[in-house]
Amino acid sequence: MGQWFPKVVHILKADGSALPLIERPIVRMFLSGQAISEKALYLTKKGKTVPVSITVSPIILDGRPVGAVQVFRDITVDNEIDRMKSEFISLASHQLRTPLSTIQTYAHMIDDDYMGKVNNEQRRALRTILGATNTMNELIGMLLNIARIESGRITVNSKRLNTSALVQDIARQQSIVASNKNISVQLRLPKQAATIKSDVLILKEILLNLVGNAIKYTPPDGKVILAVKEHPDTVLFMVRDTGIGIPKASQERIFAKFFRAQNVIRQETSGTGLGLYVVKGLVQTLGGSVWFKSTEDEGTTFYVSLPKIYRESAALRASPAEL
Amino acid sequence: MARILVVEDERDLNAAYQMILKKAGHTVDSALNGQDALKIAEKFKPDLILLDLLMPIMGGLEFLRHYDLDKQTDVKVLIFTNMENSPEVNEAYNLGATRCIIKSWTAPQSLAKVIDDVLAKKAA
Repeated sequence: MGQWFPKVVHILKADGSALPLIERPIVRMFLSGQAISEKALYLTKKGKTVPVSITVSPIILDGRPVGAVQVFRDITVDNEIDRMKSEFISLASHQLRTPLSTIQTYAHMIDDDYMGKVNNEQRRALRTILGATNTMNELIGMLLNIARIESGRITVNSKRLNTSALVQDIARQQSIVASNKNISVQLRLPKQAATIKSDVLILKEILLNLVGNAIKYTPPDGKVILAVKEHPDTVLFMVRDTGIGIPKASQERIFAKFFRAQNVIRQETSGTGLGLYVVKGLVQTLGGSVWFKSTEDEGTTFYVSLPKIYRESAALRASPAEL
Repeated sequence: MARILVVEDERDLNAAYQMILKKAGHTVDSALNGQDALKIAEKFKPDLILLDLLMPIMGGLEFLRHYDLDKQTDVKVLIFTNMENSPEVNEAYNLGATRCIIKSWTAPQSLAKVIDDVLAKKAA
């Protein structure tokens, strides 16, 4: 007692690296006056590390923080349960995908006349089957991604990629859905394409999700703009729509798991509330950040900023608490 | 046209891939796991192996470790899996796989086309 607290309470960042004094939750709480809750590692006297959740709440007197209550909770068991849950989702998803692949492959084969010529009515039925299996597949993919993001098992395969070519590819893939609603998808690309070193599949998934949302939540005859801007160390992707927008009250929680905005639920547009949660996790996996600006009934713009060169140490591991 | 070995434990899928590839004019043989694939590959001498990763007895990665692509420089390996963004796919590339495609995203016609692309490529 009566000792300088950093000498008594030793904590490290959740990834095991040193936590500078200025970044300690209790110091940040005094600087901001706001309660803070986050994960860290507690270093015991014997030098063992224990994963903990730290909550620091200010004691306010005359509007100023004069003290603090700091609570450390051992989350070893929570982490273990999280890991088991992720493993379970991963396993279950693979088991679900195997029969789904069989259904899809054979439906495609019939559709491609491998088993003789199909008539128009049969073809319509086959396309319905394929549409439904695609939806199910996307959902399983989403669950798999969540399991990987939460268990830190996502692997980044970093290679040089041309951002303009990638964005054009995304626009092409989404053009059928967009034209069904008479939505024009426009590209704003720099004169000279920006090349970055990152994971093409992960980036594709991020942008497909955002563009897919933009089209889904934009009424017919609207507009979706996909833009790329190059900065000295980063590349900025923008997905702008003239859609229904995100109500102010829903904006704070838009990246939360299973969260769906009120105006979306009202319209019964199908969705799981997982897309943006996955987007945020994937963007963080690539060491970038994602944010948005939105006005209800006018439209939304999502921004994704990525480092030009992916570095493993720069990538934040997304923990559920951050999302 | 090429000699293709399909390695896939799901019998229905294995049969489907064989049908697609035969229709595209290739000579096809098949195995239900990595261990069988090693034996068959020795006699069949494939130009390309269509390889699943998760299989009983011997999975795709284990197969690649035994098959030793460094010595089989003319053989291309196309990984066919549902495990996108996974460490297993990265490992398969490290072991010499030419390309990886996602099963449930791939229609028969595009499978035949990907195979033509991979065959046209010089050894990776």
